[in-house]
Amino acid sequence: MEQMYAYKCTKCGKLHHPRYIVCQNPDCDGREFEQIPLEGKCKLLTWTRVYNLPEGYMMPWLNFGIVEFENGVRATGQIGFDDGIESGMDLVSSVGVIRTKVIKYKETVEEPVYGFVFQKA
Amino acid sequence: MREVGIVGIGHTKFGKSAVPYLDMCCNAALEAMDDAGAKTGRKNVIDQVFVGTMGAGMVNRLSGAASAVVDTLNLRPAMAETVENGPASGASALKLAYAAIASGMCDCVLVIGGEAMREVTGWEGTDFVATMLHPTGEYPYGLTLPAFAGMFTRLCMDKYGVTSRDLSIVSVKNHDNACLNPNAHIHSRVKLERITDERYIAATNPLVADPLRQYDMCPVSDGAAALLLVAKDKQEELGFGHKPFIKVAGIASATDTHYVADREEPSDLLAVRLSAQKAYKMAGVGPEDIDVAELHDAFQILEVEESEETGLFPRGSGHLAAREGKTEIHGEMPINTSGGLKAKGHPLGGTGVSQIVELVKQLRGEAGDRQIKDAKTALAVNFGGFGNNVVSTVLKAE
Repeated sequence: MEQMYAYKCTKCGKLHHPRYIVCQNPDCDGREFEQIPLEGKCKLLTWTRVYNLPEGYMMPWLNFGIVEFENGVRATGQIGFDDGIESGMDLVSSVGVIRTKVIKYKETVEEPVYGFVFQKA
Repeated sequence: MREVGIVGIGHTKFGKSAVPYLDMCCNAALEAMDDAGAKTGRKNVIDQVFVGTMGAGMVNRLSGAASAVVDTLNLRPAMAETVENGPASGASALKLAYAAIASGMCDCVLVIGGEAMREVTGWEGTDFVATMLHPTGEYPYGLTLPAFAGMFTRLCMDKYGVTSRDLSIVSVKNHDNACLNPNAHIHSRVKLERITDERYIAATNPLVADPLRQYDMCPVSDGAAALLLVAKDKQEELGFGHKPFIKVAGIASATDTHYVADREEPSDLLAVRLSAQKAYKMAGVGPEDIDVAELHDAFQILEVEESEETGLFPRGSGHLAAREGKTEIHGEMPINTSGGLKAKGHPLGGTGVSQIVELVKQLRGEAGDRQIKDAKTALAVNFGGFGNNVVSTVLKAE
């Protein structure tokens, strides 16, 4: 199982997700970051259930949401359950397979891609 | 800087194109050139061609589209560049054309925007459009543009009281307008009750990205549009003195975070606000001067929120204005007289140029049954990504 991270600017301490090359603090020009595990409790800010998915997703729908972690970092991810989803609800982050990457070269290789899957708290 | 204006317009019928991508772009270009009286071959006066497209290389397997257009239309040795800025590619091409003329590098520039999305399946098209999302934080999750529009809509519903019915009102209005536009993708009126009545809404207007329904978003379209721009001080000399000069009075773009979740206020469209403010300032006008606007309603919520971010209505009241009919053709602030992306169609790179074609028609007084009386100043907003790169343009009738 993979780990998801926030990226802490070593110059000003601002937390980022996803990874940036330059610190996003307008008063900082930091370029070095420390990886901090991004996990645990979070709050659902908004969500959607999408019925028309892109190529590669053989399922009738998927739920997505934007959450805010307790350290203030926001992240987008899949929601791992169907019932009772409401903006403002408490969730807990987990890491799961969000896509299967198919590489076709001589022989077909399938690689799992990991990312945030938010679960009920 | 030199004054820059539009003297020629062209526009294909949006929908499913019967001809290949390159032909479609050339047809729009020739219509714009014929409108202005521009010649090809030895008599060509076009210095530069810009083609705005998001996917010609990826979807239609035609990279370097501008070079192909120049050669196909016998405009050699005109300069040629293809411009890619997602769904705002068309307006970005216009912005570069403006800069090329205003700076003195060129006197006459042809701008084309075009996309042929229906050459691929819906799944492939959805995936291709989603490639403009964040490459590690969004795209790999299966997120799409409708997904972000759905989440954005829910925020606006919670914050401002926008309802699903409000979005349907915008949709019905744009379908009505498109019926007056021969080049629109969809020519069918929609009854509000038919797409809002709970008894049959699941069949007539199904959910696509909850809370967004089918009628809350644009179709997938093929289409192209074109503009011929000239320096005011060269209009007579180059043979375009007989055409009205529709001045590009202000044009500007602004960017916002690529990762949507990172926005300080996720229910704001900051790049829309900033680009419109810059375009107004450049033109020396304010939102109160706008007679007609084409706003990027890929999703109906965007027409509502853009109408607020551009200052046409106070924040939080765009949906109320739509409810009261203020944005209809005969309302106090007509929006998307062309039918908008919702019903005129949305061929990505073609959209930004198509919006300008509609506004030029309005400012020339050539918009037929959808003409806004005495329109003098117009606004277009062309929206790239999910609002991370937006181009606003102010046009004035001279």
